[in-house]
Amino acid sequence: MSTHDPGSRPDAPAGGPFGTLVTGTYPEGPADPVGRGARTPLHQSPRCEGTGECALACPTQAIEVTGRGKGATFQLDYGRCVFCRACVDVCPTGALIASADFELSVRRREDLVVRHGAGRAPPTYPVDQRKEAETQARIQRLFGGSLAIREVDAGSCNGCEVEVSALTWPRFDSERLGIHFVASPRHADALLVTGPVNVNMRLALEKTFRATPSPKIVLAVGACGISGGPFRDSAEVRNGVAPTLPVTVFIPGCPPRPEALLYGIWLALGKLEQRVVQGELPTAASGTPKR
Amino acid sequence: MSGIPMEGDVPATIAPSAPVPPSAPSPGRKEEFDWVGSFAPSIPIGDDAGRPWRLELPSERWKEVTLTLDRALHHRLASFWAEHWTDGASRLHTLWMGDASCRGIHLITVLPAGNAGVPSLLPEIPAALYFEREMREMYGVEFLGAADRRPLLLHYQHSGPPMRPGTSPPRDARAPFAFPITEGEGIYEIPVGPVHAGIIEPGHFRFQVVGEQILNLEVRLGYTHKATEKRFEGRSPSLGVLLAESVSGDSSVAGAVAFLEAVEQALGIEVSRSAQLSRGLLLELERMAFLLGDVAGIALDVGYAAGAAQANFLRERSYEGLEMVGGSRLGRGTLAPGGLARPLASDMGTPLAETLALVARGNEELLEHLLSRPSVVDRLRGTGEVRTDVARALALVGPAARASGLDRDVRRDRPYGAYREVAVRVAGERAGDVEARLKVKVAEIAEACRLASEFQRAGALDSAKAPPPLPARSAGDGLGVVEAPRGEFLIWVSVGEEGTLRRVHVRDPSYLNWPAIEYAVKGNIVPDFPLCNKSLNLSYSGFDR
Repeated sequence: MSTHDPGSRPDAPAGGPFGTLVTGTYPEGPADPVGRGARTPLHQSPRCEGTGECALACPTQAIEVTGRGKGATFQLDYGRCVFCRACVDVCPTGALIASADFELSVRRREDLVVRHGAGRAPPTYPVDQRKEAETQARIQRLFGGSLAIREVDAGSCNGCEVEVSALTWPRFDSERLGIHFVASPRHADALLVTGPVNVNMRLALEKTFRATPSPKIVLAVGACGISGGPFRDSAEVRNGVAPTLPVTVFIPGCPPRPEALLYGIWLALGKLEQRVVQGELPTAASGTPKR
Repeated sequence: MSGIPMEGDVPATIAPSAPVPPSAPSPGRKEEFDWVGSFAPSIPIGDDAGRPWRLELPSERWKEVTLTLDRALHHRLASFWAEHWTDGASRLHTLWMGDASCRGIHLITVLPAGNAGVPSLLPEIPAALYFEREMREMYGVEFLGAADRRPLLLHYQHSGPPMRPGTSPPRDARAPFAFPITEGEGIYEIPVGPVHAGIIEPGHFRFQVVGEQILNLEVRLGYTHKATEKRFEGRSPSLGVLLAESVSGDSSVAGAVAFLEAVEQALGIEVSRSAQLSRGLLLELERMAFLLGDVAGIALDVGYAAGAAQANFLRERSYEGLEMVGGSRLGRGTLAPGGLARPLASDMGTPLAETLALVARGNEELLEHLLSRPSVVDRLRGTGEVRTDVARALALVGPAARASGLDRDVRRDRPYGAYREVAVRVAGERAGDVEARLKVKVAEIAEACRLASEFQRAGALDSAKAPPPLPARSAGDGLGVVEAPRGEFLIWVSVGEEGTLRRVHVRDPSYLNWPAIEYAVKGNIVPDFPLCNKSLNLSYSGFDR
């Protein structure tokens, strides 16, 4: 059996699972930077001249630019973003850059929207924050040790399924964190829902939710699961999970990379802090964007 | 399985003007030409190099001509679609593909507003079944004499065919749907889905079983239907790429390339050679990752966890390879009309070559491990058999067809982009069982590694960002046909005068291949269903769109 691994990851031992260990340490350790694409658009207000070209290039209307010139209002919804980098490519002033940040999951949908410029409105949180903290403490007490997830595809293109499956591969191996995928909602603590929730899957999704014992977590995954993504406002879809089920954590991406899913799951369990607040990342341009 | 090509096995570079290997004039091409010529006196013939022969027929002759074609040429039905015109008329298109020497035939007929319909192509053309059911519900085209009039993609009642302009959203009332009933002593039913046990897509399987043996399976799909084709309408080609990637996300690159090929043909947009090489590289990396997933699934379903782990390790390395060069693990957001959305990573040459070598070697080891274990082979051999005649009648494509003795691969038969420069070694088996499909897939992973290396060496990483495309015309229609990991992925686009998409027809390979599973499982035991399923690996979203 060959144990030679010419891979470029210097810290990784050689070989495949037949030979040696290939599993990463994230989220306990840092994420592996190998080949990580920089796909997350970051908006730097001072450079923005409000040309609005980004909004025109966006395939999911995740960007809105109101007004023109320096005083324009820029709004970007990471819940609708498909991370295609089209906005970064067309921005004539370099106000939009691509970052490798992937820890974008949030508990409140509003936190995925960044709004810069005139008329910046304070976010309104309809949720009682004290009650939310209590719920978090309860979730961590109940599920902190292990989490059984039932995956439900509610009309996804199956891109998210690739990345959710990847959690079970040797590289990410979510079982090492006590996260396992179960065959029945009866065995599940959490539902991980992908897809825009189309008309044909809504009933099955509702029944799966009812079949899952309480208390339970709902993870809305991907641009489709959060907002309907490319299919938003189509007559055949219900614009994501939230109109149908109470969502615990929103995990952006198209699809979210496996580490982003792990981050979102740990955020739901209260094992990690939410980084994105009102659409802002605490350390803008962290990481070294490659392309 | 053929040996894994090693360093130096392939030419270091491909000459920019490397000619296509000359294929001997085959009887197929002449037969096709003569058949088309026999209609020339009465029917206008479109002759546009690179496109199928295009014939327009009066609707009265629709079925007669189709059956003549089927009998005379042995072409397969590759696709069948409709479009609406503003005056209420519909146009029906069928596309017939032959072997490598043929151009294919595109038949068009116009149905005036208020028409009574056309005769059904069934039972003579079995592959037409799903197409006709879809066109009836989506376009309101009536197929006279059709026996199966059940809905296909729509589960709720609509006020009218949804693809007609101005149709209102679905109502709350579920559309009736009847499964076939099998009765007899000891026969029972197993309903499965739509929510399945694994991390997979939704669909409903209705098994009729006696003891452990499957008598009959009917698959009901449509659970992931999201009106993708309608969503294309009115968009610019650039904004359509994301939708093409979202037909079947695990074949994002193939969907995007098929769509772009169609758009570029429709508008006469040139694509640089280096951009074509880049597309070829991304396509082969995607194929490696995808097929390794199938191998992993087969290994897992026979309980061989170590083999599955090895396959998934290699699969992950393939996705890392895609991300290394294109910035996205699934290769999304990388392509644009006229070439690429942005250059590939030219500094990733060494790690990419290492990844390709690792996957090639690991894949070879994997096959040895799988096939040297009697407990694995015992589960694969003779399981889920799709006979050659069944595969031909259903017009199967991709690895499923090649494992059942049908020698078809778009990369060789209708070469596009970078495949015009290389000779693709097409894998093939005859047995049509799970073992044959596994062998074909492993051989195709090896070939994908070889082609990816060739494309890399020929300069796939050196491509520049595409200049703004210069369309030769503002409107037109075009056909994109690409060999996706599951087989022939076909997209037809019609671009209107304002430069936006007027109609886009998407035919995922799974659209043709889904019926194969209903045949594959007959007489098998229920515990072997997952193997049949994994080895065919059908896309639900690709079918439902």
